[in-house]
Amino acid sequence: MKSVLVANRGEIAVRIIRTAREAGLRTIAVYSEPDRDAYHAQLADQAWNIGPAPAGESYLNMKRILGVAAETGAEGIHPGYGFLSENAAFAQAVTDAGLIWVGPPPAAIAAMGDKVASRRIATEAGVPVVPGTGSPLEDPTEIRAVADRLGYPVLIKASRAGGGRGMRTVNHSSEIEESLASAQREADAFFGSPEVYVEKMLTNVHHIEAQILVDNHHNFVYLGERDCSVQRRHQKLVEEAPSAILNLSQSTELGEAALRIARACEYRSAGTVEFLVDSEGSFYFLEMNTRLQVEHTVTEMVTGVDLVREQLRIAAGSPTSAIGLRADGHAIEMRINAEDPYRDYLPTPGRIVSYREPAGPGVRVDGWVRAGVTVPRYYDNLLAKLVVWAPTRTQAISRAKRALDEYEITGVPTTIPVHRAVLDHPDFISARHHTDWLETEIDLSPTAPEVAESLPEEEGVVRQDMTVEISGRRFVVSYWEPDIGQEDRAAKVRRRPPKPAKGPAVASDGAVTAPMQGTIVKVNVKVGDRVDADDTICVLEAMKMENAVAAGKNGNVVELRIEAGDSVATGAVVAVIR
Amino acid sequence: MGTEQRIEHLRKMRSQAGALDRRAVDRQHERGKLTARERIAHLLDQDTFCEVDSFVRHSARGFGVENRRPLGDAVVTGWGKIDGRTVFVFAEDFTTFGGSLGRAVADKICKIMDMAMRAGAPLIGLKDSGGARIQEGVGSLDGYGRIFERNVRASGVIPQISVIMGPCAGGAVYSPALTDFVIQVTETSHLFITGPDVIKAVTGEEVTFEELGGAMVHASTSGVVHFVFSEDVAALDGVRYLLSFLPQNNLELPTYFTPTDSPTRTDDLLDQIIPDSSNQPYDMIALIETVLDDRDFFQVHEHWAQNILVGLGRLDGHTVGVVANQPSVLAGTLDIDAAEKGARFVRFCDAFNIPLVTFVDVPGFLPGVDQEHGGIIRHGAKLLYAYCEATVPRVSVITRKAYGGAYLVMNARGIRADTVFAWPSAEIAVMGASGAVNVIFRREIAAAEDPEQRRLELVREYEEEFNNPYKAAELGLVDAVIEPRETRAHLIAALEMLRTKRESLPSKKHGNIPL
Repeated sequence: MKSVLVANRGEIAVRIIRTAREAGLRTIAVYSEPDRDAYHAQLADQAWNIGPAPAGESYLNMKRILGVAAETGAEGIHPGYGFLSENAAFAQAVTDAGLIWVGPPPAAIAAMGDKVASRRIATEAGVPVVPGTGSPLEDPTEIRAVADRLGYPVLIKASRAGGGRGMRTVNHSSEIEESLASAQREADAFFGSPEVYVEKMLTNVHHIEAQILVDNHHNFVYLGERDCSVQRRHQKLVEEAPSAILNLSQSTELGEAALRIARACEYRSAGTVEFLVDSEGSFYFLEMNTRLQVEHTVTEMVTGVDLVREQLRIAAGSPTSAIGLRADGHAIEMRINAEDPYRDYLPTPGRIVSYREPAGPGVRVDGWVRAGVTVPRYYDNLLAKLVVWAPTRTQAISRAKRALDEYEITGVPTTIPVHRAVLDHPDFISARHHTDWLETEIDLSPTAPEVAESLPEEEGVVRQDMTVEISGRRFVVSYWEPDIGQEDRAAKVRRRPPKPAKGPAVASDGAVTAPMQGTIVKVNVKVGDRVDADDTICVLEAMKMENAVAAGKNGNVVELRIEAGDSVATGAVVAVIR
Repeated sequence: MGTEQRIEHLRKMRSQAGALDRRAVDRQHERGKLTARERIAHLLDQDTFCEVDSFVRHSARGFGVENRRPLGDAVVTGWGKIDGRTVFVFAEDFTTFGGSLGRAVADKICKIMDMAMRAGAPLIGLKDSGGARIQEGVGSLDGYGRIFERNVRASGVIPQISVIMGPCAGGAVYSPALTDFVIQVTETSHLFITGPDVIKAVTGEEVTFEELGGAMVHASTSGVVHFVFSEDVAALDGVRYLLSFLPQNNLELPTYFTPTDSPTRTDDLLDQIIPDSSNQPYDMIALIETVLDDRDFFQVHEHWAQNILVGLGRLDGHTVGVVANQPSVLAGTLDIDAAEKGARFVRFCDAFNIPLVTFVDVPGFLPGVDQEHGGIIRHGAKLLYAYCEATVPRVSVITRKAYGGAYLVMNARGIRADTVFAWPSAEIAVMGASGAVNVIFRREIAAAEDPEQRRLELVREYEEEFNNPYKAAELGLVDAVIEPRETRAHLIAALEMLRTKRESLPSKKHGNIPL
């Protein structure tokens, strides 16, 4: 293989192009219209526009991507993660076009993409699964029976679920019907199939996953585990390797289970088998991700393996080189997303005003943005992954904090404050965190951004920092100056005072009048109807505009003086409310 | 007396000056009101109040007043800080002589007004007074005159804010009426020229205090009051919030706060807000909120003349004044009240260097005999005059209808708007299609076999031809037709471009606005 097309965008496209270039491959990037100047498009040897912003018309547009591959003579296609990476039909189409698919065989993708089927495969391979149903369900009474047997809470999950979508927690049998309907709706919208099944929701558990590599030379390699328990709404935020709660024999046991599943589904390439692990170290198969994971970086940091390089080798038919390796040290990855953690992780696409990445020993940043770049609202809002490595977990935490302090991003809010809070928390330091921990234990309010940096007890002064050099030595000097300049005023707490309730103090006397001269085009009530003050009595067309005439007070319609088609004068009584 | 004793004496005097009649304070609290000093403490940043004239006493004689001469009399005056910026304040003290205004009180208020003018800082009056001190006769009345004259002298130089927190009747009402903003507290305050008793005696009409001069009446019916709050502390917070937008005086630029909202934020709502059918209303408030920083729109005159919206907000951290037609009230037409409301706000913004952003969706003036006879010509001219004379940056966005004279009044290019944007949904024309066709094709319609059929065809053709922004764009009356979702970015860029705008009117004593 001499060339590869990267069918993705953002940091992962950049990541793959980097390795491909190291491997001497010609790289072909694809981009959508808003990504015209994106870094991945600049970095590749060639870049091709594949359509407008919506992913369905660009990054998910199989025909167009295959067309670009043919036109550029690309020999292989790397799908990255997300988009088409777990689309068996696309994998098949790539193979059928005579190209090399950098990923597992379509059959393995299909088998593992169906959560119900994958649970069956795991069970047959002797791997414990999270208790739940072996087949899809759609009848609420059936689900209730299963849930009652498993014990609450349970999860209703889309058969093709991923990324936290198509999942609903049910705490009580009364919630089943509603949760079922909404899970089905979401599953249908995101995965094109409303099929769902039921699983017991394990609480107080760690999310631990096994990284494996399988080549066509009978090498089944386990590259250690990753702990991804810091999540919000089932979306990972911080990942580390190795897990702090598994000992070596538990880790080995986990890896063997993962490889049994890989054998059962005839897996090839890099893959990840996810488990939930309880406090006793018992583990349950959750699902298998048949692609490169976002958090593959932590495994790379502790093993020294370049997983993308291994994927390319395996795809080209070579044996993996990652044999007989030992993990060393500890790595932590923090996802830097354009989200506002103070507003319920609201996505905050927008323009990056300033950007400076941390660096130094043991720090790796996989990103794609820089100052001036606009983060489009159409795609995932991952800006960068900050990954640190250190010999021990304690040192890795210190290094992560140091790196976060160096990280400068302005223009859009990011998840950096959450990472600080996580790394400082005693539960995380002692690895007592679990998958629901972030949402229940992390309180960001003390660091809310409204807090002015100036000394609170001295109103009217602002802190200024200045760098000075004295006798060849560099100092940062802080001084406080009177706050006089308008332009320099630091943003202070400004809270809109509460407004009193609306509505005139002069209570409506019950006569509803026409606000202007016009024609009644519609009457919405009948005599005797009960109405609220905001309800529309009739619609008046005047000045070529339909005006809703509101009741003005709560009560019953006792008199109605108009019907559709009537002309009314300004101030005419149209109805009386008592 | 040695120096030490003299210092001790001062301390004693000071403690007397701050002393309050416990029973009067309790009565004030029972009415749901704070005392003058409590109000000042809540209004200003902590420990910033510097009192002036705490030793002033009246020198009136007669009716026994010469025996009661409390230090400071019935008003507390001084200066302090709000959000770190100097303000001057006077608070009428209802617990002393019912807050009535005698010569000494008037002297104190005039002095603090003069100081505010000299320092170039806002003046806030907290009103809670029984009225003129009748025992002092015409001398007291003269005090009002001196205050009014200062209100006018300061008008357009420093922001003046009045907060009605108790009775304010008779001549006393004209001081607030002359200030930039009047804030009133519901239930505990009243504002009128003649009270319910006099009205009953003269006209026989029976009316309660709240119905006659309560906060909501003035906020929704008379338009005397700009903001309403349900209690003292909320009203004082309102003053602080209002001042956060304003400059200290007419020579300063309004405030800037480091923005937290992206200047290039787009919003799908704006692409969807205009209904397909032009006879359907939509909520202009939602549109404005979507465009402004942090979706924060501080409405002025929220309850009065709701067919026009005026208020303060920020764009990329800079204060802007927003004026907009509200299609969901009276079809967004301009009437007498709307014209007055808009005109006063435009002039305020112009006086204090606040750029104006105008959103236009106006089908015309409100037709009707009462409007014509009420002087819509005279009143509509106020808004037109206000826009024409405004030299601050003026940017318009025509979202939909912009017809006839009303189009011109709403900051059109012809009256010297700096930048005019239009949405693709804009309809900019001299009149509605139906009226236009009747005039232009009168003969052709009359001659047609089926005149009504022909008329409808012509209306449709006319609509297709003229109900769009491109005729106006052809003539350069619209600078750019923009995608609604990008309105925020366009406005920010235009205002940034206009930041250095310097324009002045020909030298004159003053114009002659049609009052």
